[in-house]
Amino acid sequence: MRKVNKAYDRYASAVFLLIGVSFVWESRKISESSYGSNVGPDIFPMGLGIIMILLSIRLFYEVMKTKTSASEEKSNPDYKRFLLILVASLIYAYFLEDIGYVIGTFLFLLFSFQVIERGKWLVSLIVSAVFSYGVYYLFVKILEGSLPGFPSWMNLG
Amino acid sequence: MSVLNFLADGFSSALQWHNLLFAFIGVLIGTAVGVLPGIGPMSGVALLIPVTATMTGGQDPASAATSAIILLAGVYYGAMYGGSTTSILLNTPGESSSVVTTLDGYQMARQGRAGAALSISAIGSFAAGIFSLLALVLLAEPLSNLAIKFGPAEYFSLMLLGLAAVSGLAGKSMTKALIMTVMGLLLATIGMDNVSGVARFTYDFPILYGGLEFLTIAVGLFALGEVFKTIINREYQAGEIAKVGRVLPTRQDLKASAGPIARGSVLGFFIGVLPGAGATLASFFSYIIEKKISKNPAKFGKGAIEGVAAPESANNAASGGAMVPLLTLGIPGSGTTAILMGALIMYNVQPGPLLFADHPEVAWGLIASMFIGNLMLLILNMPLVKVFAKIIETPPRYLLPIIIAISVFGVYAVQYTTFDLLLLIGCGIAGYFLTKNDYPLAPLVLGLVLGPMIENNMRRALTGSNGDFSVFLAKPLSAAFLLVAVLWLVVPLLLKMRGKKVLVNEEA
Repeated sequence: MRKVNKAYDRYASAVFLLIGVSFVWESRKISESSYGSNVGPDIFPMGLGIIMILLSIRLFYEVMKTKTSASEEKSNPDYKRFLLILVASLIYAYFLEDIGYVIGTFLFLLFSFQVIERGKWLVSLIVSAVFSYGVYYLFVKILEGSLPGFPSWMNLG
Repeated sequence: MSVLNFLADGFSSALQWHNLLFAFIGVLIGTAVGVLPGIGPMSGVALLIPVTATMTGGQDPASAATSAIILLAGVYYGAMYGGSTTSILLNTPGESSSVVTTLDGYQMARQGRAGAALSISAIGSFAAGIFSLLALVLLAEPLSNLAIKFGPAEYFSLMLLGLAAVSGLAGKSMTKALIMTVMGLLLATIGMDNVSGVARFTYDFPILYGGLEFLTIAVGLFALGEVFKTIINREYQAGEIAKVGRVLPTRQDLKASAGPIARGSVLGFFIGVLPGAGATLASFFSYIIEKKISKNPAKFGKGAIEGVAAPESANNAASGGAMVPLLTLGIPGSGTTAILMGALIMYNVQPGPLLFADHPEVAWGLIASMFIGNLMLLILNMPLVKVFAKIIETPPRYLLPIIIAISVFGVYAVQYTTFDLLLLIGCGIAGYFLTKNDYPLAPLVLGLVLGPMIENNMRRALTGSNGDFSVFLAKPLSAAFLLVAVLWLVVPLLLKMRGKKVLVNEEA
């Protein structure tokens, strides 16, 4: 927000250029015309890809033109907590179907509560348990939705 | 008198007990969303789509769509009411359209007039909400009658205009905004092409044939992106909260606010109707105008009640105005309305001129429910404002992980795939880094929602003209739309080159 991150924008313009090029390249493989019309499914993505290429070049040019602003470092970002919660979310998402919603959500919440602020175990335990079982109960028992509540070997439904 | 008949039908649908309940839940959650700093109207609406999808699961499709949109729209305008609370009590805007409210609102709170500021903003929001609804009722028929005559070429150009308007006003760099728009349009092409049935960019992954789910991307970008940002920037330490005090405004407060509320409502509505200019711009403009015409401009910034009444009315009127292009033309003008549109499409209800012909119960039910919802909000925000002030004290340590858990639940409950969960988290990371570096997210979501429609209309128009692109310029209306779209992009650029400051919309 406050300061223009040149390095990021440079990499971003390269990534967007790559995206544009690959969409143009790949849309050439789409079979051209379908029903006698000369506007097939390839035109739209190809046109967009070309626009993307032009825009990314313009972005690169803009980044080059801006002078490096005085680097006023902001207060140190908290990447440790972020990474811990990110990894926890990924594990939670990946194993959700195997471990079941209730247990998975309970463990994820308990872990994340403690990552953000250690202590108050009892409150953390209660909030995690109430939320994970509460959502499951509301959704599956009352609204009759389907959600893998518990691991299949537990035979709890 | 058909408008009155339709409106009466709308009320009979909105007054069914379950729809009243949906409206109430919507405005209640909306107020909470507005009050809680970490979560804005966009992520609030996105998060609630899956929840409403399950809540309405038992109804037939048309009434399910009505109930769902009643709830989601309630979140949208409810957030406009709630946003003022933190601005006034905490000097931290709950969402971007309440930024200007902090200027005078917090000063009033420091002088012990927080209650008056809160109630004036509730009254102003209510008056503005009712005004913009009446205008919507009057404009809906003629506009949709006009739009129904549009052919594919006109539609294509109109949607381009919508995209251009949002990109031209979003964020600090127009190039970045345009890149995000094109990115959204490109992402929308993934999956089965619904004209020819050819699979595009799927690389034989069966999961990609249906395309990337709009919901997953929106929840990831907005809700998770916001959570990650809050964690990384340690933004969860609460500040000091001012006392609410006496809630009812004095007679003098009311007298001083009547003019600003009226002007804010009218101005806000018309700014809201314009695509791209949303509630945030509306609140800024109305504040500036009040300051300009005031006999005593020096008191602004020192606790002038006009400085609270005008922007709070304007942002609520703008959220009503934004419903006009969404419902009558099918063109969302902002990120939040794009998400509402995505929700309607999920229910197989296509917003646009045919909405009033094909699904009058959805359109008029929604409009009627907004009258009721605004009334509920007035009641909620006047006597209960002290209760909502308590929500601010919700410890974020519990809130942040729960938002992640709700996102995961919501996406899984609609999509049933682990792939979507991983995509959700990926979008969350992307959302954080993109906003951090001034890449606005609203244009991406808009591109994603409008993409398939733009492409269909373009191809239909081109098929009709045998591939001749000049068809878009040959039709006068279409050419006019394109001209305005170009102007929208070029004029700010020219102003910038001449060294003028251009007001931009941060996120709306």
